[in-house]
Amino acid sequence: MGDKKSDVLQGTLDLMVLKTLHAMGPLHGFGIARRIEQLSEDVLQLNEGTVYTSLLRLQQQGWISSSWGTSENNRKARYYSITRQGKKQLEVETENWERFAGVVGRVLSQEGQG
Amino acid sequence: MGRLRVFFERIKELFEQSRANREFEDELEQHLQLLTDRFVSQGMPRREAVSAARRQFGNAALLQQRHREARTFLFFSSIWRDVCFGARMLRKHRGSTAAVVVALALGIGMNACIFTFVNALLLRPLAGIRAPGEMREVWEHSRTANGIHSFMPLTYPDYVFFRDHARSFSGLLGYDGDPEGIIWNRGGHGEVIHGQLVSGNAFSVAGVGVTIGRSFTPADDQPDNPQPLVILRNNFWKQSLGSDPHILGKSMMLNGTNYTIIGVAQPGFTGFEVAMAPDFWTTLSMEEKLIHDPGRLTSRNSNWLLTEGRLAPGQNTKSAQAEISLLAREIELAHPDTNKDMDDVLYSSAPVPGPFRGYVTAFTGMLMVVFALVLVIACANAASLLMVKATGRAREMAVRSALGAGRGRLIRQMTVESLLLALIAGCAAVLLSFWTSHLLLNLIPTSLPISIELPLDWRVLVFTFLVALITGIVFGVTPALRGTRVDPVGVIKSETHSGGYRKSRLRNAIMIGEIAVCALLLFSATLCVRSLFNAGSIDPGFDTENIAIATLDAGSLGYNDAKIETFYRELDRHIRALPGVISSSYVNHLPLDASREQTSVIDESLIASLPHGIPVDVFRVEPGYFKTMGISVVAGRDFLQSELDHKSNVIVVNTAMAARLWPGQNPIGKLVKVGSSAKERSEVVGVVKTGNYRSLGEDPIPALFRMEMPSLRVLVVHTSRDPGSLLDAVQRQVQVVDPNMAATQVQTIGSFMSLPMFAARTTGLLLGASGILALVLTWIGLFGVISFAVSERTREIGVRMALGAGRGDVMKLIMRQGLLITSIGLVIGMGAALASARLLSALLYGIRPDDPATVVIVSAGMAAIAVLACYIPARRAVRVNPVIALRYE
Repeated sequence: MGDKKSDVLQGTLDLMVLKTLHAMGPLHGFGIARRIEQLSEDVLQLNEGTVYTSLLRLQQQGWISSSWGTSENNRKARYYSITRQGKKQLEVETENWERFAGVVGRVLSQEGQG
Repeated sequence: MGRLRVFFERIKELFEQSRANREFEDELEQHLQLLTDRFVSQGMPRREAVSAARRQFGNAALLQQRHREARTFLFFSSIWRDVCFGARMLRKHRGSTAAVVVALALGIGMNACIFTFVNALLLRPLAGIRAPGEMREVWEHSRTANGIHSFMPLTYPDYVFFRDHARSFSGLLGYDGDPEGIIWNRGGHGEVIHGQLVSGNAFSVAGVGVTIGRSFTPADDQPDNPQPLVILRNNFWKQSLGSDPHILGKSMMLNGTNYTIIGVAQPGFTGFEVAMAPDFWTTLSMEEKLIHDPGRLTSRNSNWLLTEGRLAPGQNTKSAQAEISLLAREIELAHPDTNKDMDDVLYSSAPVPGPFRGYVTAFTGMLMVVFALVLVIACANAASLLMVKATGRAREMAVRSALGAGRGRLIRQMTVESLLLALIAGCAAVLLSFWTSHLLLNLIPTSLPISIELPLDWRVLVFTFLVALITGIVFGVTPALRGTRVDPVGVIKSETHSGGYRKSRLRNAIMIGEIAVCALLLFSATLCVRSLFNAGSIDPGFDTENIAIATLDAGSLGYNDAKIETFYRELDRHIRALPGVISSSYVNHLPLDASREQTSVIDESLIASLPHGIPVDVFRVEPGYFKTMGISVVAGRDFLQSELDHKSNVIVVNTAMAARLWPGQNPIGKLVKVGSSAKERSEVVGVVKTGNYRSLGEDPIPALFRMEMPSLRVLVVHTSRDPGSLLDAVQRQVQVVDPNMAATQVQTIGSFMSLPMFAARTTGLLLGASGILALVLTWIGLFGVISFAVSERTREIGVRMALGAGRGDVMKLIMRQGLLITSIGLVIGMGAALASARLLSALLYGIRPDDPATVVIVSAGMAAIAVLACYIPARRAVRVNPVIALRYE
């Protein structure tokens, strides 16, 4: 089932969802999916359902909260927003990610010997 | 912190489950709706948009499931669902479920049955004894002897020395290891009950209380001032005395002496050793009065006291052993004539006495191995059946996998099913073992005053269910791994399953192993059963059919010699008058009984070559013994009545003794000294055929027969009728001659012989059962595998027949597969059997462990069974109609 690939994806997806909520303010699941799709410029093929798994995880950690609102098509929808704790976590995670990406970038940019 | 939070979230959500589920469903629904709308607005037809949205969204059902699981402790409830589903599947496949359960229950049950005995004999502490873990047995051990004979109970003087000097014990108790048959004169009629001599501190050291009255004190047990006091076993008091509450202070006439009842032991306490449950206890100081064997309390040669002590606080086996060894050394220095090379060793306290545990462990261990092998066969059977089933369920697995069940999830489902099967089998096994172990108890000869309790306690239950659990994992894991390796697309599309070849190869391998183990078991079983028949036909040297026996001890009532003689003469007269009785006589103990008397015989004319003579076994008999027992006199004659009356110094020897002392000469008239200190010489008047005296099938042992009977005698009666019908009459005649007397162990010679045959019979029976079980299981397994192979190859067979293969060819094809498996398995199994059969050689009579006839019998038998197992499916294969088989697809 390719569990390993989705593990990496899960971690990064959580970070992306958290950042999206941080940047955009309260959004429902559909909105988050659209925003990530838009930013990824169709590079990332995403099963949109997994967004909800990520949302649940974040909620259970207390990094986001949810409340009921009304969606574009006038239906009741659950809106998610980042909590104060979530913002703190986002800072830590962003820093981690940048450090990690930096390392990977440096490793990959080495000159080949021949 | 984070985890704790998740945990509490989950608890909260446990209570909001259904609402949360509904809301989440709505949320996903909404998402899909929006996605569809978006595709529609991009110009896609609505129907396409719906499926495009679903594609983009992913597996919504799986997501919901994951969502639920993540939110709650759903792991457990999903296991429960697996259990329910598993139960449903097992109900649906009733046939295979029953086959697996029966096979496993037999395998597990027989193991549990053997373990019940192990538990009762080796593990379970004796009932009623306080803190049995603190008790240690003390055994005298000879440094110069080997094996079981190097261990002995203690002499009374040694016991007293240890009791008074060993500081590492808070108390040392001693008791007579053989509860004696005691005549209880109950209102003028003798009745045999069992009594045991115990030290005055026995009850207090063991921590055994009394229901009423008091227990013994050391003051009751002074050899110079013996007190005739008894304590009754609780059940004896209930059953024989009607729980009389006013029993204390009343007296009982036991072996001619009046004893005062001072107490009734606490309920549940049956005695200090396993299986022996005396009806009453009295103190060691009463030894002479009770069993009329004077001198035991002072003798340094008479080892009769089983000794156990309670470790003092802060002491352990090591420190206590050190002290005991030191004390033993002291005794050795003080009494070199009797205690030279004697040490004393400690054993932890268990039902079976320490030195014997090794043998019991080896015996039960061997049986455990045998039945573990049967269980392996049952496991192999279950595994191959489940694999067949798994193949049939390939489609189900494929569908589940396509719906998003991961492989781990499928394995879990299969494992739960296997464990469920094992659990059911475990329950059945508990019942089975309870039943068989009590059935096995009946094998114990009635002549032994033994009653083994076989409690179904927690140890047995834990063992059984542990075995069941392991079994479930062992037989379940392969089918689970194999069955779940599915390629959903392939299976659903073509409706055939992938990996069939590899699967059938594995099934064949399992089957080969099964046949090999079966061959091994069957070989051992056949050996033992054949040996049992051999043992039955061993000639012990006396008639084993038409004789009734009874043990009597007129001396136990305190009669003098003249009165004893009168009693035996009178009884003899009465017995001979009984209808059907041909002759009767007395012997001090029967051959093959536990008792033995040995002495050395010196022929002074051979003093140069044999200065110490030769050791011989001694039997004390009366005239007519040889005729009564059917022992043939090969030279000379039997004793004469006149020789008995005049106490003449005459003996009868056996051929082994004659051959040893006087090869090639006529032994009649030879003069020998019987015993190294004998003053007079005895004349040989007859020679009898050598029999078996100590064990069946032994090498010839020199023996002699003399008169001079002790007061304890065995009455032997030769009858023309069934000796069983004579037993009541014999017991009645004893009471007619003397109402105060009672005979013990009144039985036929056949039931007496069950004791020497006990080990062989038990092993033969159990191994025979294991062999038959293995054979049946293997037959079922082989039949199942071949049948399945046939059904799997129906199409192939159809093609072959359509292309012109005859019925004979198809038959050959199927049979070849089965017979190939069988022969490979047989070769491996027979190799293993021949290699391991040497372990059995000690239990075999008149048969070599590599007996070629047995090899042939077993191989041929298994081949025949295999042919039968293959033939039925092969016949079905032959009847395949090619047209139908090909159209079936």
